[in-house]
Amino acid sequence: MATIIIDGQSFELPEGAKFNAIQAAKHFGIDIPYYCWHPALSVVANCRMCEIEVGTKDPATGEIKMLPRLVPGCQTPARDGTVLVTESAKVLEHRKNIMELLLINHPLDCPVCDQAGECGLQDYSYEHGRAAHRFVEERNVKPKKEVSDLIVLNQDRCIMCTRCVRFTREIPGTAELHVMRRGDHGEIAIFPDQPVDNPLAGNVVDLCPVGALLDKDFLHNQRVWFLSKHDGVCTGCSTGCNISVEENAGKVWRHKPRHNPYVNDYWICDEGRYGYKAANSPTLLGGNYVLEGKDHHGVPTDRFVKRLNETLTTRILDKQSVLGILSPYLSVEEAFAAAQWLASLTNRVELALGPVPVRGEDLTFAPDKTKGRSGDTSFIVPRPFTISAEKAPNRAGVEMMLDHFGKGAVPFEKALESVASHPIVIVFGGSPDESWIEADQVAALRKAEVLVLFDTTINPLADVADFVAGIASFAEKSGTYVNRDRRLQRFEAALPPREGVWPLLDLIAIVSGDGKAPIRSQEILKAAARVVPGLAKVEDGLVPELGLNLDSKDQPIPDAGFQDDWTLANVSTV
Amino acid sequence: MPKFEPVLSRNWNDPEILSVKRYESKGGYAASRKALTTMSPDQVVDLVKASELRGRGGAGFPTGLKWSFLPKDRKETFMCVNGDESEPATFNNRYLVEKDPHQFIEGILIGCFATRASTAYVYLRFEYIKAIKILEQAIAEARAAGHLGKNIYGSGFDLEIWCHRGAGAYICGEETGLIESLEGKRGWPRIKPPFPAIEGAFRKPTVVNNIETLACVPHIVERGADWFKSMGTPKSYGPKLYTISGQVNKQVCVELPLGVTTNQLIEEHGGGVWKGRKAKAAIPGGISMGLLTKDEFDVPLDFEEIRKTGCLGLGTAAVTVLDETTRIIDYLYNTSRFFAHESCGQCTPCREGTGWLYKTIKRIRDGGGRIEDLDLMNHLANNMGITPGTTICGLADGAAWPIKNAIAKYRPELEQFIRENVNPAARIAPVQEAISAGRSPLPSNTSMFVPGIGIAKSATS
Repeated sequence: MATIIIDGQSFELPEGAKFNAIQAAKHFGIDIPYYCWHPALSVVANCRMCEIEVGTKDPATGEIKMLPRLVPGCQTPARDGTVLVTESAKVLEHRKNIMELLLINHPLDCPVCDQAGECGLQDYSYEHGRAAHRFVEERNVKPKKEVSDLIVLNQDRCIMCTRCVRFTREIPGTAELHVMRRGDHGEIAIFPDQPVDNPLAGNVVDLCPVGALLDKDFLHNQRVWFLSKHDGVCTGCSTGCNISVEENAGKVWRHKPRHNPYVNDYWICDEGRYGYKAANSPTLLGGNYVLEGKDHHGVPTDRFVKRLNETLTTRILDKQSVLGILSPYLSVEEAFAAAQWLASLTNRVELALGPVPVRGEDLTFAPDKTKGRSGDTSFIVPRPFTISAEKAPNRAGVEMMLDHFGKGAVPFEKALESVASHPIVIVFGGSPDESWIEADQVAALRKAEVLVLFDTTINPLADVADFVAGIASFAEKSGTYVNRDRRLQRFEAALPPREGVWPLLDLIAIVSGDGKAPIRSQEILKAAARVVPGLAKVEDGLVPELGLNLDSKDQPIPDAGFQDDWTLANVSTV
Repeated sequence: MPKFEPVLSRNWNDPEILSVKRYESKGGYAASRKALTTMSPDQVVDLVKASELRGRGGAGFPTGLKWSFLPKDRKETFMCVNGDESEPATFNNRYLVEKDPHQFIEGILIGCFATRASTAYVYLRFEYIKAIKILEQAIAEARAAGHLGKNIYGSGFDLEIWCHRGAGAYICGEETGLIESLEGKRGWPRIKPPFPAIEGAFRKPTVVNNIETLACVPHIVERGADWFKSMGTPKSYGPKLYTISGQVNKQVCVELPLGVTTNQLIEEHGGGVWKGRKAKAAIPGGISMGLLTKDEFDVPLDFEEIRKTGCLGLGTAAVTVLDETTRIIDYLYNTSRFFAHESCGQCTPCREGTGWLYKTIKRIRDGGGRIEDLDLMNHLANNMGITPGTTICGLADGAAWPIKNAIAKYRPELEQFIRENVNPAARIAPVQEAISAGRSPLPSNTSMFVPGIGIAKSATS
């Protein structure tokens, strides 16, 4: 067993851990400040913030030998017998000096800087800096530039940690960013007319520890301390990236990545990042509607449910059969509740999968360790990041329900052919994209005598359906999705449901009359796990933080869950 | 003591020596033939170890020891020859390449044989256009004469030498900065470990040696380690090229045994201080080393003794003389401007520190200095560089050393300068001045909270 000594205390390193000093200390609750180091990028040790005293303990004699000078923690592997001193007077004085140097050319414009509140300079300045600094000369003034349509670079705030440069070289491999000039005139720059243009570009904003790289989409929209963060899962594709959905005043303002080594590591793609806009879309359905003549009329939920149940009961007593279509945008719980309700209506029910959008091919970014700087990078574990071609979050989870309640995953095209034999068609949508269904598909479904739609957006199918119920959007519901690797992941609602709209789980409970709203998705998952074989591993409706692999056991990842200090705080106003 | 016989510079007066025929006729390439045909690589390494040859590039690291750090089971090795020679006032490598290129090629050949490197890259500084032309011509001739190429002298050893011209950055003289630059990247020094001997150019084991170091090797092979150790002072053996420049009558590069004194160099080889003046100080080996005061002119210029005077080291043995009229502040201004310009900008202390020091020195020179600036600069300089452990490479040490050295040795002069040269236009901004003096920067009769000071009263209160 490997033992490491930090500040005089012995700790046992976890089995198989490949830590550097920062990670090891963090693992045991001791913070070593840093800027340039990032667990997924090569080590450059250029900010010099993480310098500590390092030594080794001789296993035979127990004698501790310290190195005469300070050593960066980021380049120090934590091995058996490594001794770290993180709080000595020498180290504290050194941190003070580095903070002073980092700030001499940094403008004190925190009041107008978007990074304020989640800024590495602010946090460490407060913790480790000098109260007043001694620099009395003129500051260097550097320009503000646009490195892409969506990213602005405030060069004067940059501390030259080169995280962004290393990211574009090592992860997407596009290398748009580089360092120009030398010394304190150095600048991060793009090549002329070659903006940062890759599917992962937005991550450079998250990587930047200061307010140098900022997202123009978010710029000056919100102060970060007003945002409440909610753990979400991106619905943009079947990868199911872990995201933080950040809202204030009834609106989602941004998506940020949440670290999950089994899924998305530290990254999200730009499509997922800006996918938050769908949560605030003006085309979301604002209530329940019934088609009367040629027009839809908004009706309160109680009347809507009454009329729907009347229609369905009459027809089902007439021995008419039902075609139920479950979209891959439904959560596992929604799909379970919906399928259960349909099955309870009649035994003449056929279930099918809604359209699964597929665009292009899977795009995998496999970090190449050899692209980075040389050096001891044994503690960097390169993990690939994939953007899936399948643009729906939960096909696997919905198919599980179709297998259990129906005859397997009947594709949407086949379901359309069988509309003629089913007078009642009930569609459960949920796609944030209002063009999820095409005109000829709408026409095919409209051949049904009764067409019922539960959906989030005003779309072509909603224009013609007899009953249209607005349901909670992806940001307004809680539940779980099963991603492409059959990992069950939980997400929380970020917003309350829109005025006049219920979450689908509650609406089904009301319509079916067997359950009292509000319904907790955890209870539904618990019920589903009891009967659906694929979910047998779920215990008590609970899903672990990093998700649950439904097929096999996960390899443990000792460095899982690492996040930069300055992005951690959830300063929720709630 | 027997009269010193120059070896490195023995052919410098012969313009014909540029041709391989002429060099061979003077006994050239005999040492390489001897090494390749009669010795094993390990024997050469042991011989160089026995000679206690120390690297001539500045740090004085034992060459044989460096060679023996290469992993035993390596498949491919690269030799990088450091000819970046960017330390101001240094020009001994240029003389070696321009005046006797084959001696240098022979040195590379033996060095590569000893380290089993079959590819050598000669990294020459941007400005050495003439040297690179001469060297490329010499390499072509040596290749045609069978000293380079495949199966040299029938020994089964292959060697190709490539010349690479830098793009004019001081930092590319740092061995890992050089390797990065050679690989086509920005010349940012790498973190160590791994050292180049384990993972260097193109991620292969690499030896980086200075031109002058390699030029010594043929003579050691030819004449033996004892001959080499018969010259110099303890721990600093062998001949060394000293360059003398600055305010002397004759700026020259001369070969002398290690351990001559500054006085000898000025009087015997530099023709005395110019314009009949007296010397005030001298830089012993490139501007990053600090200053020798006039009283220290009889200290032997070798790797060990010079450190006792408070200088960083022998450096490149490029002695620059300052005459009595030179102001120390001007010397500091030039030095700090150079390092602020040449800092690569990677590590925070060096990037920000060199710029800060330059701005402060410039302000003092313009007449806006404060006595406390000297303490501030001293504190800054003491917290930069490898020695406190705050940077990746030694440039920060080199940038900080002349400042703390000059403040230690010439503080009275600097203080006098600050007191006597007052130029209101160069002073720091009134707000800054008030805060640093513990006063409120507000104009009226008010007080304010100043971090680190507390409640400060305004000047008028």
